[in-house]
Amino acid sequence: MNAVEIRNLSKNFGPKQAVCGLDMTVPMGAIYGFIGENGSGKSTTEKMICGLIPTSGGSIRLYDRDHTDPAVRAKVGVLIEAPGCFPGLSVWENMMLQAANLDIPNAEEEVVKVLKLVRMEGAAGNKYKNCSLGMKQRIGIAMALLGNPTLLVLDEPLNGLDADGMRIMREVLTDIIKDGTRSILVSSHLLGELQKVATHYGIIRHGKMICEMTAEELDAGCRTYVALQTGDRNRSKALLSCKYSRVEEDEAGYLRVYDRTTPEEIVTYLYDNGLCVTEIKTDKIGLEEYYIDLMRGGK
Amino acid sequence: MEMTQKLTFESPSFSKRLKGMLGVDFYRLFHTPLFYIFLAVAAIIPAMVSAMTVMPDANGNVMEPLYSNVWQIIATDTPLYVVNTIAEYANMNMVFIFGGIMVSIFIGHDYKSGYVKQLFTTHAKKQDYMMSKSLVCAFAMACMCVSYFIGGTLAGLLVGYSLEVNPGSLLLAILGKMVMSLGWASLYTFLNVIFRRYFGVSIVSSFFFGTGILIIGAAAIVEDLALPTSFLNLFLYGSSVNACLTSNIGTFITCSIVSVAWAMIYNVAGTRLLYKSDVY
Repeated sequence: MNAVEIRNLSKNFGPKQAVCGLDMTVPMGAIYGFIGENGSGKSTTEKMICGLIPTSGGSIRLYDRDHTDPAVRAKVGVLIEAPGCFPGLSVWENMMLQAANLDIPNAEEEVVKVLKLVRMEGAAGNKYKNCSLGMKQRIGIAMALLGNPTLLVLDEPLNGLDADGMRIMREVLTDIIKDGTRSILVSSHLLGELQKVATHYGIIRHGKMICEMTAEELDAGCRTYVALQTGDRNRSKALLSCKYSRVEEDEAGYLRVYDRTTPEEIVTYLYDNGLCVTEIKTDKIGLEEYYIDLMRGGK
Repeated sequence: MEMTQKLTFESPSFSKRLKGMLGVDFYRLFHTPLFYIFLAVAAIIPAMVSAMTVMPDANGNVMEPLYSNVWQIIATDTPLYVVNTIAEYANMNMVFIFGGIMVSIFIGHDYKSGYVKQLFTTHAKKQDYMMSKSLVCAFAMACMCVSYFIGGTLAGLLVGYSLEVNPGSLLLAILGKMVMSLGWASLYTFLNVIFRRYFGVSIVSSFFFGTGILIIGAAAIVEDLALPTSFLNLFLYGSSVNACLTSNIGTFITCSIVSVAWAMIYNVAGTRLLYKSDVY
């Protein structure tokens, strides 16, 4: 049984087809990174999973039940766009209201527990409107966690966070699935950050799932490249470009050769042309580069 | 990864869902300034209208008093579906105009904050939402009626209007208008569901319907078809007007039936709309 199983899902907004024939499988206990460019249909798909938008066709099953079944809806927690907090009330009041809505027994205990999980126990008395963006995102996750849902749907929870906020968010996400009872469907544009936590990936383009894989499959599928530094970068790049089909310079000033080759071969080639390599290493492309390659139609 | 805990699925009962949602809505009502501001407005409006009638103008002339009796600030002597003067219009029915604005702001916050997304994602059903909002906003408007009554009575006494009235009819008129709050609140909830993406339009439409301006068209149709004017009592505004200083128990029963019937119609229509449309 999977947490989410989508088959042939479609959604039309008038003549515009936002999602067409999408298949998706989120296994139980996974952090599923849902990736796609702006307007690719990520949020629309998430909203359909959450029952916020009716589907135009296809099926969505959560834990092998129709996604509109109220019993299965109670197992879903969501953070889509805004966390649903009232700005004039405190974090504690907002949490208690959500707990009342869900008719949670021992509400206070439960609220303390989820606030602790998202590292917000010290800010319970703060007015929601006075919280920082990072705090609001974590409050949103805490709200979603109330009622002990087994599936969390988080839309861009990493947006606007600083480095420390991202670190905390990563820790929170991994803590949430630690006991193996929950699955998280998370969309983000920050692929480098997503790669640090996700166990599964789905890449959507023009409303269609173009690729689904596990973190291990991504790792195996990511091509290696040779990164090097020489005394004369421009000449080295020109020389390497004559021999190899894809040579690029990265932000750190390394020349990257993406063709199938070895460091020894490159060192010898440059040495034969009168250039000395000062540093050389092999590495794998990350999710971000993999994604860009995929979007360009490369491997 | 394997699940360490067996999944159990349980559908929350209707009473559980409604109890939770009503609890949240009442908490919000009592813990935000909106409700208290509108209670104050409801008390101040009749006082202002009464005060206007005794304030001298630049030449020292005092206006002709709008009312001859304190209770005319609360309701008209007879049902006046189409009014000729401001005095005939300015009574407790005005609560339904600014009550509509209050409902628009109250529900507007639900959408602005993303609260409805949380609500509809979890166990809440769309009919629970319509019902909860209608009941809570009806309560708020009924409280505004009480506030209006206090403000209007005090103002009338200060101005020195007569107190002569049939107490039973007065009580039934006030209760009738309070009961009508349910129908009005349901209408405004429905309008806010329709215009949920456009906060300004929600407020304007609530104001428009609250003024009862549509009753003029209905009255014209009734006249053309030679129907009795009591036919207008089938409408929210008509029944609200019908709750006047000559009310009897029949008036109150009519108000109750009309209010509940319209509340049901608007709740069903709002629920259907919510099911068929996207939640923003």
